[in-house]
Formats: sequence, structure tokens, C-alpha cells
Amino acid sequence: MSRIATPGDLVKLRDRLNAKRNAKATWLAVCAGTGCRACGAMALADKFEEEIEKRGIGDKVGVRRTGCHGLCERGPMVMVQPAGESYFGIHPENVPAVLDQVETGKGDVEQFRYLDEEGGKRVSKLSDVPFYKHQNRVLLENNLWGDASSIEDYIALGGYSALAKALTEMTPDAVLNEVKEAKLRGRGGGGFLAGRKWESVRKAEGEPKYVIVNADEGDPGAFMDGSLLEGTPHSVLEGLILGAYAIGAAEGFIYVRQEYPLARKHAQLAIDQAREYGLLGEDILGSNFSFDVKIHRGAGAFVSGESSALMSAIEGHVGEPRPKYVHTSEKGVWGKPSCLNNVETWANVPHIINKGAAWFKGMGTAESTGTKIFSLVGKVKNTGLVEVPMGITLRDIIFKIGGGVPAGKQFKAVQTGGPSGGVVPEALLDLPVDFDELTKVGSMMGSGGMIVMDTNTCMVDTARYYIRFLAHESCGKCVPCREGTRQMLNILDRIASGEGREDDLGLLEELAEFMQAASLCALGQSAPNPVASTLKYFRDEYEEHIREKRCRAGVCTALIAYEIDQSKCKSCGACQRACPAGAIDKGGKDGKVFTVVQEKCIKCGACFSACPDKFNAVTKVPALSIKR
Amino acid sequence: MDVNETAPPSDARAVVLVIDADKSFVKTCRQALEGEGYKIIVSPSGKQGLEAAKAEAPGVVLLDWKAADPSDIAGFDLLDELVDVNSDIVPVVATADATVDAAVEAMKMGVFDFLSKPVSPEKLLETVRQAVGISEMQREAETKEEKADKYDLLLEGLDVLGEAYSIGLEKRQFLDDLARLENVAKSNAASRGEAKTREEAIAEIHDDLLDADAIMWNYDFQKNALIQILLDVQEKFRWLPRHILNWISGRLNIPLKDILVIANFYEAFSTEPRGRHTIQVCTGTACHVRGATETLTRVSAALGIQPGETDAKQRFTLETVHCLGCCALAPVVQIGSQYYRDPSQSQLAKLINSLEGAGGAEEATTGKEA
Ligand SMILES: Cc1cc2nc3c(=O)[nH]c(=O)nc-3n(C[C@H](O)[C@H](O)[C@H](O)COP(=O)(O)O)c2cc1C
Repeated sequence: MSRIATPGDLVKLRDRLNAKRNAKATWLAVCAGTGCRACGAMALADKFEEEIEKRGIGDKVGVRRTGCHGLCERGPMVMVQPAGESYFGIHPENVPAVLDQVETGKGDVEQFRYLDEEGGKRVSKLSDVPFYKHQNRVLLENNLWGDASSIEDYIALGGYSALAKALTEMTPDAVLNEVKEAKLRGRGGGGFLAGRKWESVRKAEGEPKYVIVNADEGDPGAFMDGSLLEGTPHSVLEGLILGAYAIGAAEGFIYVRQEYPLARKHAQLAIDQAREYGLLGEDILGSNFSFDVKIHRGAGAFVSGESSALMSAIEGHVGEPRPKYVHTSEKGVWGKPSCLNNVETWANVPHIINKGAAWFKGMGTAESTGTKIFSLVGKVKNTGLVEVPMGITLRDIIFKIGGGVPAGKQFKAVQTGGPSGGVVPEALLDLPVDFDELTKVGSMMGSGGMIVMDTNTCMVDTARYYIRFLAHESCGKCVPCREGTRQMLNILDRIASGEGREDDLGLLEELAEFMQAASLCALGQSAPNPVASTLKYFRDEYEEHIREKRCRAGVCTALIAYEIDQSKCKSCGACQRACPAGAIDKGGKDGKVFTVVQEKCIKCGACFSACPDKFNAVTKVPALSIKR
Repeated sequence: MDVNETAPPSDARAVVLVIDADKSFVKTCRQALEGEGYKIIVSPSGKQGLEAAKAEAPGVVLLDWKAADPSDIAGFDLLDELVDVNSDIVPVVATADATVDAAVEAMKMGVFDFLSKPVSPEKLLETVRQAVGISEMQREAETKEEKADKYDLLLEGLDVLGEAYSIGLEKRQFLDDLARLENVAKSNAASRGEAKTREEAIAEIHDDLLDADAIMWNYDFQKNALIQILLDVQEKFRWLPRHILNWISGRLNIPLKDILVIANFYEAFSTEPRGRHTIQVCTGTACHVRGATETLTRVSAALGIQPGETDAKQRFTLETVHCLGCCALAPVVQIGSQYYRDPSQSQLAKLINSLEGAGGAEEATTGKEA
């Protein structure tokens, strides 16, 4: 492939590529996101190709390995394009059935269609599956239709047309104004107006200027940024190039988290391809504008996602934050003006340039425009990646799209905003998803992690989980954060192990106030949120732990014990075989049934999971009820 | 060269292996060569040829570029493996498919001659004679090289000393540094409980340092690429050995303590040796609310080590990790490139056993991860 020298060449290339894509009547889009890969999607795609060749239908049917389709719960999945039919839970042995269906319409595929529990009917089209029906997929659309590692697919789908438009029809100021006008807010958590940040970097003195993609995605329950970069890396890259043009930057970085090897690989591939096609490098599309990008791998530290810390990591130093009075937009990487935005923020830019600010503002609320991607996980039926217009209610996301909590359990709370966020109880579920609304109730939008919790989730344990994470991740540079998180963890450990004291809750609140006020960076300032919000909405659970030594969710291991109901045990031995600690013996009723030897029990729950449902003899009981 | 004259000691060298299923070619070989005192061994397939190469140590091998059976090993791959078996072997290709491209390619790979079938007996004899000659010369040269004598070494030593002086390095300091590296080499080998000769230990550290150099080379020895360099070192060695950090510190002129600060700050780095297999239990939020704590307790019990630890034989390292991005599988355990949803006790035992087998084999063949 030679360079694309002009915007006209790009249009011609797109026509050629589309003709190539259309030459095959059918494409099988196999989801090859990390989640489906973990369930064997790559072997599935290989099998499709093998079977297609065997049947000699390679001129009619092709295979694409695409980005994440979203409904991870039902993977591996394949979508038949362009018709839009989708099959879920497909494994290599089901490949002939799908191809029969493609070839003759008579394949035995009914069982792989989505089962709509409400209507009891099978749904054939992806767009009719409830999970998808209520979404508004703008950024994630390419994940469905293009091969994740192909620049050709991206161009065929309209990719780089925004760049061509900007470079030929728009001045840098016009690009900047469009983004300002769209009121695009940063998707990395803070919700800062992207246009305003761009403007200050543009105006700041110093050359060269840098633009940076934050793909550190430190929130431990979120994978939106990884999936975008992995599934449609060129849209992030195109956004970055547009930003560089608007800001006047000549060099960019993509800072990718170490734990995302696939995202890194695809991002590198995208950079190499774009360079080869003349979309990066010198004199892009004959416009005189030059720009290039490098990847920088993170080395695993949550705080490195913070803007000043990230920049010092790029310089090769320890990724510790700096005080906020030095703005990175003026003095960032190597002391030069630098513009850092989140992956999703950048990915929005090509759409805004293509379709205009008015279109963008048509989605969402007045102050939170556009769409937002969430990773909807935890105790929810449809685990996956969802993109919704801002302003949609939490209830709609969790129940309409997510299908609610799995059968037999009850919804308790949803956690948003990652370690800096908080929990939102049932009563507030009609809250619109909007930067400002979520902050008002003590949580925050965050980058898009959304963890659904049911009655089997303990709120003390949840707070403890986040504080343990933060205490570990605190860089230790400032005292309020380092000592604050440590002391909070001590107190929470105490409460969770049944040693809590009456005044502990007051102490937690005091610590929270102090950390919020005195910490150096947002990590410490927001660290108390998980504690504060659980205390606010679920104080009774804390009190139960302290006063009654009871964990109603059965999670805090020190407060529970496993027991075998002597009357229900049928001596099948499943629990004994499962126990890694040798803590189960036949000490029950005349030596005939099993019992748990409490002294040896490590409370791993293996017996509980192993006991067949039909017996249900292993139970969790409060530890206090066990006589030692 | 008169083969008969040198017959007894160089018997093995006069062995010619013919890997070819082409009967008429084999016949030509026998006619042309056997009468001249060469011992001919014929293997109709690449696979058998490799066996024969191991058993008979031929000096010259005649092979076709293409295999009769497509599933057989042939061409490049066969050449590669033959050279692995015996790096002195002199390969000659004879093929009916003699394109210029193939010939060029073959010559690049060190093939001695590329003959187009059918080959006349005279041409064949001529080529094999030359090839055997080369093979003998190579062997002689190598035996000489293997036992470098003291006087050659002194010459080399003078060279090195001269160069050291030319960059202002005193002999004393140079020898001290060298001695330090030697000590590291010996103590490394000893700490792994491997009885190594001095030469082996030194060769090992020499290779390690070359590897480190190759990594730094990729980043133009830039100071500010330190984190990226350390990530590559971590990937290559599975941890950050102290002698490598010292080397990097010297090469990049960064104080060792600054490197250690970075090594300790980031999660990705380990300053302790790690197991050949890493078992990761995801403790991301989604996994946590779905019972990752219990899963971790079970995996830990099955391996007999705590999170963050490596077993005494350096087979396994147990790690927790925050979000692997496959939350639908929560709680998830990753072993190698495979993911498992909340593996049961028996599944775990089976997986661990299968790894142990693989680990053992690896240990036997290479002693360390390549
Ligand atoms: C402790 C900490 C961790 C952060 N981690 C991330 C992260 O992983 N990804 C991200 O995009 N922003 C992260 N941020 C926010 C960044 O500092 C920065 O605000 C953001 O990348 C700016 O991009 P945006 O305006 O497009 O959101 C983090 C902030 C803090 C304080």
C-alpha cells in the first residue's frame, strides 16, 4: 500500500475497499474481545475459516475477528453480516450448523439465538436483543463491523473522513471550537471540558506540545477503555490526530496499561498502519501538518493514571503526582504544554467533527452531552459493555439492559466511579447518569465501571475492598493519603473481623474529612468516598458487624462459619473431595455423615459450592453460633 | 583429495546422507559415489533423514528442496533442523524445481551448492568431493578453535588491555570489574543449586548481559526509556536480576538506587526470582463481588503458597491482578494464556499437575527460560 497523498485518494481508496467488502455476500463477525477470547473465540474463528474453505464457499463468506460486541455473558458470539443475525455461546463444534444456516437457511441454530426471558421467545437479530435495544452505540459500533486489526475495515466504514475534513475544510480553531461547542467532557472520571483543556494547551507557551491518550484504566472493575483500544484503535488514533491538529502538537503518546497486552498490540498495529498509509508522519494528506505517536507501557500502578504522575512516568521517572498548582496543560511532559485525555474522550472526537456539535448535543443532558460507555458487571444477568446516552437512569441500565440481578437474589446497590466513587442504593436508582447528579449523591461517574451488588454483597467488605486497594496503591508521597488509607483499613479490618468498636464509625468519618481536605492528589481526596457512601446508605450493616458480630451477607469470613446440616447430608463426599484443607471428616451422626472440623477450616467455600443443589446440606452460619 | 588415504580417522566424514524419495536420483548417487569410497545412507523422508543425521554424523547431506509428501519436513525447515543436529554438516540441494529464487534463498541459508535434476554422475561426484573437503576443513578449524592456546589468549589480552588504556581505564579497575562479574556468575549458578563449571557460569552471565544490551539497544540507550527497558527485562528474565540492574545502571549512567526505586514502585516488576508459571487470580471488583476471595484461598491452598510467593523450586508464582477485562467469567483465574472460571478443586489439581510436567521438561532441556 502506498501513502494516501490527498483527501481525494482517501475517498477513492474507501470506494475500492467497500467494493472488496461487498464482494462477499456474507461476513461472520466473530467477537474477538478479551472476554470472548478467554472463552475460545480465536479457535472458533479459525474453525469457521477452515470449514468455509472445506465447503469451497470462500468467495461468498468471509470471517472477521472484531472487537468486543458487548454481551460478554453470552460469549463466544458471532454476528452474521450484513443481515444482523446473531448467535451466542457458539463453540467450534457448532460451526457447521451456523454455516448450514448461512448457506441454506436450514441450519440447526435455534438454540444459539438469544432467548428473551420475558416473552419466552428466541430473538434472531442483534438489534432486537433487549441488551442492545436500549443502547445508543456510537463509539462501539465499529467493534461490531470491522476487523479490529484492519485499517482497511476502519477506512471502509468511514474512518479518517473526519481527519480529511478537518485538514481540508477546517482551521485548527474551527476544530477546537466544534469540540468546545459540543461540550464534550472528559470520560476519564473528572468530567472536565475537553475543549477548554485543549484551548489552554494551545495557548500555553512552549514548544513542542504533546497530546496523550490515557489508557491506564486503573479502575479494577472496568474494561471500557481496553475494549475500545483493542476493538477500534484507529478511532482513538484519529481523535488524537485531530486533537493534535487543533492544539498544534507534533508528537503524541498512548499510555497503555501493562495488563492489556491485546490493546497494546492493536494500538501499535494501528500506529504502524496509519504511518504506512500516510495518516501519521510528515505532511498528512498533503496538508503540511505533521504528527507522530509513540506507545508508552505502564508498569502497573493505579496512581500513574493521574495526569501529572502519568507524565512523569513517560519521562521515565516514578509515577508520582505533583501538586495541582502546576498545570500539566502548561508544564507537562518534559515541562512542555501537554494535553491528556481519556481513551473514550478521544474516540468521540472524529464523530463530533463528522457529524457536528449539534448532533452530539442531541444526545444526553444539557451539561453531560453525548454517550457514555459502562462496563456493567457483578451480580447482573447481562454482564458486558454498554453504551448509553447520558441522562439515562441507573435503573434502565441495570434492569432494562442488564436484565437485573440473577434469579433468586435481590438488588442491593450499584457502585460507580471505581475506587474514587461510591455506592448508590435502590432508592436512588432513578437518578439520571450525569456527571453532576452522581457526584451529588456521593458517588461519581468515574470512568465507567458499574458494579451491581445483591443481598449477598456485604457493604463493609465492599468499603474494605476499595480501601485495601487504595492503601496499596497510595504512592506514599503525602501523609493524609498514606496514613489515612492505612488507618481506615485498620479500622475496617477490625470491623470485618468482629472486633469493631462503637466509636469506629465516627473515627472513619473524621478521617474521611481530613483526607478529602489535605491530600495532594485526587487519589487521596476521593479515597474516602467508598467508605463515606456505604456509611451514608448502609450504616446499619456496619452497626450489625460491630454490635452483633454478624455479617448478613455472609461475606466477612471471620464472622461466618460453614456447617453441614446433619439431617440433609447424604454422605456423597463431594464436600470432602473439594476441601483443600482436609477440614471435613465423617464425624457426624454415628460416623455416617460429614462434618466440618472448624479448627482446620480455611473458609474457602469449596464445600459450599461442591454440595449438590438437591441436598443443600452445607450452610453458612454466623461464627458466633458455633461452639468451639 | 584422495579419500582412501585419510580413510581410518575420518571415516565419519566420508559419510554422505541422501534425503530423497526419488529412486532414480538415489541410484545415480550410489553409482557415482559408492565406487569412490563414500558411504551412502539413504532416507526417503525428511523425518527419517533427521534420525539418520543424528545416528551417523554424516559430513555432507544431499537433499531435495521439496518433499514428496507435503506433511513431511523439507526445505528451509529441514535445513534448520539438520544444522541443529550438527552445525558442521555441509548441505547440497538437488532438485527438479530449481528456480532462481529458491537457489538464492538456499545459498543464503548456507547451502553449499544447488544442483538441478537430473544431475550427471560426474557433476555429482565433483560437488560431493568439494563438499566433503569443506566439511573436513571446518572440523579441523573447529578442533583448533576449541582449544585456544595460552599464547593466542595473551595476544587477545594485550589487545583488550590496550583498548582499556585508550579509554582511560586502569588495569586494576578493569580487573576488579571483571572479577566482580565472575563472582556474580559463580554465585548465581550456586544460588540456583546448579553445579556449573566456571566456564559455563561465565558464558551464562555473558549471555545475560548481551540480552540486556540488546534490550537497551532497542531504545537507543536512552535514559528516559528506563521503565520500558525494565519491562522488557522483566519479560525476558521473569524478574529483575541484580546483576542486570547493575549493568543497566552502568550503561545508562543512572544510579542503581534510582533504578531500585522504580523497580519497587511499579507492580509489574519483581526483584525476586519468579516461578516458571504464573497463576493469576483476578481480584478486580467484579470478581471480588462474585467470590474471588474464596477462589484465591482455594488456589493458594492448592499450590501451597501465599499470593505474591513463589514455591521453593521456582515452578509457580501466585499473583493477584486487578481486572483482566473478562468480567463475565468472574471469578476468573488465568494460567498461562488460558482463563478459567472459578476452577474447582479437582480442575486445579489437574492444571497444576500438567504445568509441573511441562515445567520439569523445560528445566531438563534448557535449565532456564529462553
Ligand atoms: C489516582 C487517579 C487515577 C486515575 N486513573 C485514570 C485512568 O486510569 N484513566 C483515565 O483516563 N483517567 C484517570 N485519572 C484521571 C486523570 O488524572 C485525568 O483527569 C484524565 O485522564 C483526563 O482525561 P479526560 O479529561 O479525558 O477524562 C485518574 C486520576 C487519579 C487521581
